[in-house]
Amino acid sequence: MENREIILEINHLTKVFQDEPDVNAEPILEDLNLQLHRKEFLSILGPSGCGKTTMLRCIAGFESYEGEILVGGVSTTKPGTDRIMVFQDFNQIFPWQTVEKNIQYPLKLQGIKDKDQLKAISDEYLKKVNLDGTQKKYPHQLSGGMKQRVAIAKALAQKPKIILMDEPFAALDAMTRNKLQAELLNISRQEDCTFIFITHNIQEAIVLGDRIIVMSKKGKIKIDKQNTLARPITPASPGYGDMWTLFHDAIEE
Amino acid sequence: MKKQKVDVSGLIVKIIFVIAVLILWEVVARANLFGSRSRLIFPTIGDVLQAFVNNFKTGYAGSSFWVYIMNSMKLLVLGLFIGIVLAFLFSGLSIVSKTFHSIYNLVVSVFDLLPGVALLPVVIVICGVTPGVIVFLVVHAVIWPMSRSVLDGFLAVPKIYVESGLNMGLSGFSLLTGVYIPAATSYIVSGLKVGWARAWRGLLSAEMIFGLANCPGIGLYINQMRTNMKNAEMYATLIVIIIIGVVVQYGILAPIEKCTVKRWGMSK
Repeated sequence: MENREIILEINHLTKVFQDEPDVNAEPILEDLNLQLHRKEFLSILGPSGCGKTTMLRCIAGFESYEGEILVGGVSTTKPGTDRIMVFQDFNQIFPWQTVEKNIQYPLKLQGIKDKDQLKAISDEYLKKVNLDGTQKKYPHQLSGGMKQRVAIAKALAQKPKIILMDEPFAALDAMTRNKLQAELLNISRQEDCTFIFITHNIQEAIVLGDRIIVMSKKGKIKIDKQNTLARPITPASPGYGDMWTLFHDAIEE
Repeated sequence: MKKQKVDVSGLIVKIIFVIAVLILWEVVARANLFGSRSRLIFPTIGDVLQAFVNNFKTGYAGSSFWVYIMNSMKLLVLGLFIGIVLAFLFSGLSIVSKTFHSIYNLVVSVFDLLPGVALLPVVIVICGVTPGVIVFLVVHAVIWPMSRSVLDGFLAVPKIYVESGLNMGLSGFSLLTGVYIPAATSYIVSGLKVGWARAWRGLLSAEMIFGLANCPGIGLYINQMRTNMKNAEMYATLIVIIIIGVVVQYGILAPIEKCTVKRWGMSK
């Protein structure tokens, strides 16, 4: 893993939400440093309010920040299609577009005009997320899990360097959640893409991540661990219990 | 999509009600309850229908009622078009600039309360007695409610759609057309409904208050029928006004709603 090129480099990232200019607010992130290799799948755990989401939003370019964020060696401060965000909210795909148009729209913006080509791409990615046949449906006709699948397909189709996922499965029922975890793991093995996956669920972090980070207050990285368990990982895998306890205790502290 | 069940009993009740009203009308008309004025207040249904045909056949002073309708529609459509375009333009600018937003918000709040007809004297002084006055009033009638709806709609656009749009490379004008306008469609449609209704009322009031000899409209026609004591024709004109309203409501606005917010599952 270590000899792969570095796709994301975060240096001295500090973020303060300054609502009133006079008050010296506490920083939500303070001097955060992180490096991510190409094709890595990074899971981030941490208690609420530790700054996980804020870090993700800084990377996505939705927030201003102090410090430096380099994507593929280039400093970034604005949103861009090399980093695509998948949110927790089911209603992130546009309700006024059909499923396939939702996937095709950003591709059109990127300059793909050929209709057959667009159709081929949207079909390909819908198949990848097991949603073949929903092309002409509108989002309100889909279940929450299906909407998240569309959001993932939409993100993948744009061929970003990094996909930023902010608890995308948190609002799903347990069965759908397990299914989507397996699908995402499978997809992440095939695609040439780097993933940052925020979750509150330790099982999810272990099942998905090549590398798992536990964050504490102000974005301090408490644990940064390569996931060495043999895949596929289930709660019955050797070493799973120890790892679970390690992360659980780190979050609770 | 669920197919809407037709409410048969409700429909029958409505039909019976309408027939009953018509019969009552005819009875009152034939009974001469109001003495000499009876025929003026209640012309028989046959007379009204005859007048309806006559309006279109002979019309008034050599021009058919069609000419009046077309004149009114021409000014109405022009005014609606200008009003809607301006509403979108100013509301769009309000998204871009916070200063513009607060100023425009004030302007909308103030002028929305001002009935167009009250502006008539001022507008006549500025434009003279020209069709421009009517267009002005229609624009005034539609721009403020439309702007209010569009502004509210833009403010209510979920942040997640905006961020999604930014993420895929939209910004400025493309963000407006790619995210804000489609996401605010339910507000825009309700703004259209209110705007159209006000414009239609404003148009008729203005035409009745002063008639344009070079561009006579429906409002003027009613007035001419009144001055000539042609009351059956007056009623026939009212029927036409109702028909136009129904056509716009169910022939234009309802289909727009059906192909957008209803299909997208976004209706409020």
